[in-house]
Amino acid sequence: MTKKEKTMNDTSINDKANSRRNFFKKSAVYSMSAIAASSIVPISKLNADEIEITQKAPWGTKLGDLVDKYAYGIPSPYEHNNVRRVHDLLSSGDRYATVSMTPHHLQEGIITPNGLFFNRSHGGTAHVDPEKFRLMLHGLLEKPLVLTLKQLKRYPSISRIYFIECPANGSTGWRGPQFNNLQFVKGMTSCAEWTGVRLKTVLDDLGLSPNAKWMLAEGSDNSEMARTIPIEKVLDDAMLVWGQNGEPLRPEQGYPVRLLLPGWEGNLNVKWLKRLEFSDKPWHTKEETSKYTMLQANGKGINYFWPMEVNSIITSPCPEVPWTDLEIGDKIEISGLAWSGRGTVKTVDISLDGGNNWVEASLKGLILPKAWTRFSYIIKWDGKKKVLLSRAIDDSGHIQPSIDKLIENVGVEGIYHRNPVIGWEVKSNGEVNNVHVRS
Amino acid sequence: MFMLEVKKVLISCGIISALAVTSGFAQAPIKANSKINVDGSVIYPHKDGKYTSYLLNEQSTNGFNQHGRTPTVNEIKAWNIDVMPDGTGLPEGEGSVELGDELYSSQCAMCHGDFGTGGKGYPTLSGGQGSLTNQLLKEGDEPPFRTIGSYWPYASTLYWYIQSAMPFANPKSLSNDETYALVAYLLSINDIEIDGVELDDEYVLNKEKFLKIKMPNEDGFYPVDPSRNDLKEVRPPLAQGTRCMSNCNAPKPVHIAAEITGFDPAISTSKKLPEMKASLTVLPGETIYNESCMACHSNDALGAPVIGDKDIWKEITSRGMDVVYLNGINGINAMPPKGGNMDLTEAQMKEVIDYIVIKSK
Repeated sequence: MTKKEKTMNDTSINDKANSRRNFFKKSAVYSMSAIAASSIVPISKLNADEIEITQKAPWGTKLGDLVDKYAYGIPSPYEHNNVRRVHDLLSSGDRYATVSMTPHHLQEGIITPNGLFFNRSHGGTAHVDPEKFRLMLHGLLEKPLVLTLKQLKRYPSISRIYFIECPANGSTGWRGPQFNNLQFVKGMTSCAEWTGVRLKTVLDDLGLSPNAKWMLAEGSDNSEMARTIPIEKVLDDAMLVWGQNGEPLRPEQGYPVRLLLPGWEGNLNVKWLKRLEFSDKPWHTKEETSKYTMLQANGKGINYFWPMEVNSIITSPCPEVPWTDLEIGDKIEISGLAWSGRGTVKTVDISLDGGNNWVEASLKGLILPKAWTRFSYIIKWDGKKKVLLSRAIDDSGHIQPSIDKLIENVGVEGIYHRNPVIGWEVKSNGEVNNVHVRS
Repeated sequence: MFMLEVKKVLISCGIISALAVTSGFAQAPIKANSKINVDGSVIYPHKDGKYTSYLLNEQSTNGFNQHGRTPTVNEIKAWNIDVMPDGTGLPEGEGSVELGDELYSSQCAMCHGDFGTGGKGYPTLSGGQGSLTNQLLKEGDEPPFRTIGSYWPYASTLYWYIQSAMPFANPKSLSNDETYALVAYLLSINDIEIDGVELDDEYVLNKEKFLKIKMPNEDGFYPVDPSRNDLKEVRPPLAQGTRCMSNCNAPKPVHIAAEITGFDPAISTSKKLPEMKASLTVLPGETIYNESCMACHSNDALGAPVIGDKDIWKEITSRGMDVVYLNGINGINAMPPKGGNMDLTEAQMKEVIDYIVIKSK
């Protein structure tokens, strides 16, 4: 039986139609024409009058808020669930050294609002007084330099859209699927337009020694977060940034200044920046020995591996935004995010059958290096169970591996840099669950 | 050639099986004219007034350093306190295992457990040697334990990190001598010897002896020596996929074994307006509690009496509030004086203790 043949008496009438019918009863706008029409067209498509249209809206019949009610605007109160979330499983004993996750299922486009940018710190969010901020550059430089914030901001600025991702993003699922939501499966990445100065521009005047092979970047927070960066990255696209999506950096992102290393582990983008030292040798900071190293099955740890590999995730549907309200035959867009710290996303493939057959999705919007990239593929919902997967390829020549391939390569113990092909099972009723395609 | 480098690294990783699928690498070759950085990423040129899709101002950007100034010798000395694996930056000083033990008991054990055995969520600092090849593949398997003794390659990191970032709630409070003492204690509980000498209670660590420390897992990482050539070799992908488009013989999907709950706030996409919260008034002491006490008193992982536990706090207050105030101010058991926050006045301590007691009734 096709959808068009359904009637109100049809026992297989779906939930959507049911709720619509209840609504009709309550709203008492059940016109004679609607009753007549109901015997020949599906109830859900009836052109019945809705009170949202026939009655005056409450917000249209009185004055709104004063223009200056919020000196700094806030989201609609109805969007109170569009928030970052935490889980004690991901904390280091408390909520200072932990991470809050971006709600990807409610995000649009490729820019994360500043209040929803994922937040990872190692000793809580520091509040740096911008008047007392100082940045020191020293070591293998002919002309070491101290800058105030005002002096730093005099440098000619550039603005670039780049994602930041914690290398532990997705790490919660390396032994099997764990979280049944998108927010905790991939919430440790966000993307923003950053404004600052290219680090090379600053160094061009300082007489960097040819022996300078490494740079130490150190924060001024409780944990003095520090990392060692090879000079090749410093001189390529590294930035000192003070702006985030058109406003000063948020405290959680390192106000007033953070280092930005496009595409590299979030942890390297040192926040609350205080000091840059140049040396011929690496430092082996705590975050590149005890943590942020990748222990493999052979008992050896990989250190000094930095770029976040090519990755992707379907954001619609997802467990939080399922297809339970779809009717068979409805058109629906599968969409998601792809990114690569090694270059620009070139292609995203989608599978509807758990990885046996694939089609190429469309990329849409801006396609920028080391930035979130949206992909899209439209299907007609047939009410049949599916396993949706996405697989991205970048212009450095890398393809997301399968889960099996990644485990075969690096074992299950290193929690960082997990970028395998993952996705969702869509059940015939439209419910969406986290599954792993793996042997 | 990039392809060869990838293969070479796979061999050096000892992952022979991966070689069987190297043919997959050929499916997405890099453009011949692209420049590749040390991390294997694409270097895009700044050319013809453009950087990828971004337009550039191509005027000279030199000379802006005139806005800054040269740091003084003392300023550099004040901030340049990092310690490198070869000992560069290590200050003079000395401290005994015995002193380290005392410091550890009063300022570290509440989070890291007695003898570094770990607390809920906080890092375990001792043990685990020989466990690094463990893989927790199924229930009952032993995982690897990454501790100072089993995993950390250099003691310089230990010294530098303790001095700049520990104790967690009161960092940068330890002297050079105290830091030497703590390093000595942490090495001793990991059974690490220096120059063949066991670190007993009387052992005094100083700069000269520190430079002779060799950590058990120093050779547990690669690149062994991150020289410029070696560096290029660790830039491969962890694993490279293949682009199969049809009849790919994928394994079956695996479902979540046990669903995790406990998200904060709870997962929901409801757009119904939430009920107004009853009262947002901040009680006296609450701010101090959140900043200075919560790290230990919010759960029982560290052995501190938990806020809201009526039975425990009834017992604690049974000898009168004056005793509770005194214990808070002077410290008790694993709790250091004023919880380690010496900036708090006695009046503030009383305020915050009152707050905890009110919240635990």
